[in-house]
Amino acid sequence: MTRIVQNTDAATVIATLRQADGYYVTNTARDLSQADFKNRILLHTDLMAAKGREAAGYFSLEITGGASVHVDMLRKQVDPFLKLELLRKAMPKTMFQTLCRGTNLFGYRPYPQNVIRLTVREFAKYVDVWRTFDFLNHVPNMQAVFEEVALAGKINEPSICFSTGPEHTNAYYVGKVGEILAVTGSDVILCIKNHGGLGTPQRIGELVDALKQTYPDLVIHYHGHNTDGNEIGRIVEAVLHGAKIVDASDHALTGFYGPPPVLTVIQTLNGYGKTAVGMSEEAVIETSDTIRDQRRYYAQFEAQIKGFQPTVQIHKLPGGAMGSSLEQADKGGFLDRMPDILHKELPRVQKDLGNYWSVTPGSQILWTTAVSNVLDGERYANPSGDLKNLLLGKYGPFPFYKPADWIYKKAFGPDWKKILEAEEGMPGIEDVDLDQERAALTEKLGMEPTEQQLVLYLQHPNDAVDFFKFEENFGKAYVLPPAIFFREGSFALGEKLTFKDHFGKEHVVEIGPTQKTELGETNVYLNVDHDQRLYLFEPELQAGIQAEVKLTKEEIAALATEGDVRAPFAGTICDVSVEIGDEVGVGDQLAVIEAMKMQTPILSEVAGVVNAVSAKIGTMLQAGDRIFKIDRFED
Amino acid sequence: MKKRILVANRGEIAIRLIRAIQELDYEAIAVYETPDRNSRHLRIADEAIWIGDGPRKDYLDVEKIIGTALRSNVCAIHPGYGFLAENPDLARACENAGLIFIGPPSKVIENLGSKVMARRIMAEAGIAMVPGTENLPSGEQGLQVAMEFVARYGFPIMLKATSGGGGRGIRRIENEHELREQYPIARAEAKAAFNDDSVYLEKVVVNPRHVEVQILADRAGNTVHLGTRDCSIQRRNQKLVEIAPAFQISEELREEISQTAVKAAKASGYFNAGTVEFLLDSDNNYYFMEINTRLQVEHTVTEMVTGIDIVRSQIRLAMGHNLHVRQEEIRTRGHAIEMRINAEDPQNNFMPEGGKTISVYRSPGGYGVRLDGFCYQGFTIPEVYDSLLVKLTVFGWSWEETVDRLRRCLTNYVITGPKTTIPFYLNLVNDPDFQQGVFDTSYLETHEHLFEYKEDNSEINKLARLIAEIHNRGENRYAK
Repeated sequence: MTRIVQNTDAATVIATLRQADGYYVTNTARDLSQADFKNRILLHTDLMAAKGREAAGYFSLEITGGASVHVDMLRKQVDPFLKLELLRKAMPKTMFQTLCRGTNLFGYRPYPQNVIRLTVREFAKYVDVWRTFDFLNHVPNMQAVFEEVALAGKINEPSICFSTGPEHTNAYYVGKVGEILAVTGSDVILCIKNHGGLGTPQRIGELVDALKQTYPDLVIHYHGHNTDGNEIGRIVEAVLHGAKIVDASDHALTGFYGPPPVLTVIQTLNGYGKTAVGMSEEAVIETSDTIRDQRRYYAQFEAQIKGFQPTVQIHKLPGGAMGSSLEQADKGGFLDRMPDILHKELPRVQKDLGNYWSVTPGSQILWTTAVSNVLDGERYANPSGDLKNLLLGKYGPFPFYKPADWIYKKAFGPDWKKILEAEEGMPGIEDVDLDQERAALTEKLGMEPTEQQLVLYLQHPNDAVDFFKFEENFGKAYVLPPAIFFREGSFALGEKLTFKDHFGKEHVVEIGPTQKTELGETNVYLNVDHDQRLYLFEPELQAGIQAEVKLTKEEIAALATEGDVRAPFAGTICDVSVEIGDEVGVGDQLAVIEAMKMQTPILSEVAGVVNAVSAKIGTMLQAGDRIFKIDRFED
Repeated sequence: MKKRILVANRGEIAIRLIRAIQELDYEAIAVYETPDRNSRHLRIADEAIWIGDGPRKDYLDVEKIIGTALRSNVCAIHPGYGFLAENPDLARACENAGLIFIGPPSKVIENLGSKVMARRIMAEAGIAMVPGTENLPSGEQGLQVAMEFVARYGFPIMLKATSGGGGRGIRRIENEHELREQYPIARAEAKAAFNDDSVYLEKVVVNPRHVEVQILADRAGNTVHLGTRDCSIQRRNQKLVEIAPAFQISEELREEISQTAVKAAKASGYFNAGTVEFLLDSDNNYYFMEINTRLQVEHTVTEMVTGIDIVRSQIRLAMGHNLHVRQEEIRTRGHAIEMRINAEDPQNNFMPEGGKTISVYRSPGGYGVRLDGFCYQGFTIPEVYDSLLVKLTVFGWSWEETVDRLRRCLTNYVITGPKTTIPFYLNLVNDPDFQQGVFDTSYLETHEHLFEYKEDNSEINKLARLIAEIHNRGENRYAK
C-alpha cells in the first residue's frame, strides 16, 4: 500500500481508497490556520513546512478555500493563486485540497452561476480535491461546483454538515447522502463535516456505520475539530467504522479549536491495528521541528482565551468562529457576557432558527443574533440584513422547521406576512457581465487584468483591488517571515533583516535612525543592501482628536429621524448607495454596514437631500460615528 | 608665496577648476554669492571670498570680479563656463589690469561671440555653413530680407539672436504668419536678454546631429584637435548626454570634420581651448555652427578618450607654455558618455527641484567611472542657479561596454530629496535605439516612452518601503 500522488486520475484515486486497508490523512493546514490563528499562518511558513509535508505522505494538503482566499488578500497580502503555484513547485506529489462553500464559494453570500463556474475552473488548475458544503445541506446550492469540478477532472468531495440534536438522526444523514450521490454519482468522496467537533466518539462511529451499511462502497472522509479536546476519540471511532480519510495537522501549530495533531492520530490508531497509508512519522516530526520556531510570531493571533472548550457541545460554534468571536467580545468589552451568550442565548437562537448547522455563513448569523439579543436586552430587536435573508429563505429552505411567527414579526414588523409572501424563496441570481467586470477592473488597475485577477476581483471586489495596489507599492511581501510581517513594535536601531525576494535575490535591510521634521513628518532611514535610503511619512491624523461622545442606541435612532445618520454599531462600510445632492425618501437604502461578515443596510428615516457623506467604502466606524447628513424636506 | 588663480564660477565646474589649479601647485581662490555659502567648492578652495548677495548678479559683475582678483593678489582668472566665460568684457578687463585671463583674447571672444562676425570669418576661410543672413534690419525692411531668404531656401528657418548662445535666443519659424508674428517679439526678447536686439536667419537642417570638435591652441600658432563629440541628445537645444567620439560616422569623416575645425580655429586667430560646433545632416553634410570660446561642460568625455587634461592644458597655455602634445601623438581610444544629472523632474517638463535638501547621496564608483559634482548629503540646492548636481562620465572600450557601465552606475546611484534625471537616463540606456547609437536631435521628441518610469521601483525598494512603514507605525497595518 502506497500513497496516492498528485496527477492520478480521479477514478483511480477513488478505487485506491475503496480498496485501502488502513486510512489516509489530510493535513488541514488551512483549517488549523483559520481556527487557531485567525487565518494568519503565512505562505512563508507553509513554504518552510513544504519539504516535510511533501515527505510525510498525506492524502492531501488542505491549503486553500474557506475564508483563506479572502484573508490571503486582505491580511496576508499574498495572491491566493501565486500561493498555490509556489506550493505546487515545492510539493509536486501532494494533492491540494480546498474548502468551498458551494454557491457562496469562498465568501459569505451567493454568487452568480457564471462567477462560480469561472472561479472553480481557475482554482481547479491547482486544486485536486474539492470539499464542498452548504450550511443548510441544500444540495442544489452545491451543484454548479460539483459540475465544474467533474468537468475539470478533479475529485469531488461533497459534504454533509453534521450537528447534534433531535433532528440530526442517522436516517436524516443517510437520506441526505443519497440526495447528494444522486447528483454527483458514486465516484466521489463523502465528507462528514463536523466543524464544531460535536457529538461523542460513539455518535460518530454510529453515523459512519449507518452510512456504510447503506452505501458499502462509499469513501468517507471524516473531518472534525478538537474544540472539546476529544477529536482523537471521534477520529478513532470513524476509522474503526470504515472512514478512509481523516483530518489532522502539524503538532507545532495545533491549538484548541482546530484539528488535532497528526502524530497523535497515527499513534493512537496504531494501537487499534490501523495503519496510516503512505505516512512517514519521521517526516511529520521533521515538519514540526522546522516550523516550531515560527509559532511565537503568531502569538497575537491565537485566541484570547486558552484551553479546550468542552461547552462547544452546547453552543456549537465551529472552530473557525471561536477565535474571532472571542476577539470580538474582547474588543467590544463584553467578554464577561460570554457565558450568557454562549451557553444560554446561542442554544436558544439555534432552536429558534431551525437547528441548522452552525457553519459559515450560518454560524455568523447565529452568533451576531445571539450577541445582539443579549447586548440589546431585547431579543431580535435589531435583526441583521443577513438574518432577514435567512428568514426569507434566500439561502435555501430550512432543513427541519421554520422559525416561529413571532420572530418574523420582530424582524419584519406587523406586515411580515405580506413581506414573506412577496419575497420568500431563493432569488435567481443573474449572471454578471464578465466583459463589463473585466473592463471595470482594467480601469481600476490601469492595465488589463489576468484571468486570475478577475476571479479574485469577482470574489471580493474592493479587497482584491486594494491587494493589487498593495503589490504594486510593496511588491511580493509573502517573502517576509512573520517576524517581520507581523512585527509588533518598531525594530531596534541597527537590527538586520535578511530575506530573499520573489526572484530569489537575497537582501539585507538594516534599520537606521528615525527623525521627526519640523513639519511633523517622519524620516525613516534604512540601509538597503548597504545603501542608505530614506522613507518619508506624513504625520498621521491622531486618533481621538474628535471628542469621543458615546451615543446610546436611542440617541442614534433619534438623530436618524432628524436626518443625522450615524453608524448603529461598529462595522465597516461596504457599500455607499447615495451621493451628495441625491434625493432620498423614507426607507431608501443609504449604505450597507458590515460587521462579523454580516451586512446590514442603513435606511433613511427621512425624506430629503443628502448634504454630507462622511464615510466611503472601507471606512471603519464606531457606533455613533456620522455617515450622512440629510437635509429634510420641509413638511 | 604660491601663485594664486581666481575661480570666477560656482558649482561643479568651480571644483573641476580648483582641482587642476591645485594640481599645478597654485592656490585656488573661490568667490561666492550668499546663496552659495554652503557650497562645497568653498571648502575645497584655498580661500573663499564672499562677493555679494547675488543671486547671479555678483558672479556676472566684471568690476567686482576684477577688484576681488586684484585685492587677493591672484595672477590669473579662470571663468569656467557660463556667467562671464564668453563675455569679452572680463577678458578685456583682465588684459587691462595685467591679469591673465584663462581663455582666448577678448578680440577673439568678441568676434566669435557675434554670430554674424563668426559667419563672415568662416565664409572667408571657405568653411561650409548653414545658409543664413547677416543681421536683419529692423521693422518691415527686415521682414522683406527674410522673405527673400525664404524664397531661396524655404521654411523652416531659425530666427536667432546675434548675441544669444547656449541654446537661448533661438526660435524655429514654420511659415510666413509665424515669421511676422515672431520677428518683433524675437528682437524685443534679444534686447532684454542680451542687451542687443540684432537677429539673423538660418535655414533649418531637419533633425541634424550635433557634432563638435575640441580644439587646443598655443600662442605660437600650434593648433591641435582632440577629436569629436556627439551632443545630439538635447532638450530644447540644451544638451543632456554627450559622447566622445561621434562614433556613428566614419573615421574618415571624423578626421575631415576635425581638420575643418582646426582650420576654423586658425582662421579666427584662436588661442587656448575652444569648441567648434557643426551640424551634420542625414546625408553626412556638415555645416559650421559656431565656436564656443570657453571650456565646455562636456569636456570630460574628451579627456576620458584622449587622456589629456583640458583644464590643466588651458592653464598652462594661458601661462605662456606651448602645447605639450603634437597632433600625431593624440589618439582617441574607446568611448565615453557623460550624463548631466540634474535636480529636475523630467516627468514635469524638467521642472527644477531647487530648494530641496539632499537627504541621501550615494554615488557609484569602480573602473571607468568619473564624477564631477559638488553636492553632498544634507546639501540644500539653491533655487537661484542651474540644477546640475553632478556629471556622470563613464569610459569603456566598446560602445556596448560603455552603455553597460552607465546602466550599472545609474542603477547604483542614490540621490533622495530632490527628484533627479536619473530614472529618465535609466530608461534611456535601456532604449534599443540608444543602445544601437541611433539618435539625432529629435531623439527626445520621438522617444516619449523615456518619460514613463516610476521612481525607484525595484522589488527590494518596494519591500523596504513596507519594512519602513511597519517600523514607523510599530505594526503592519496591512496585516491587521
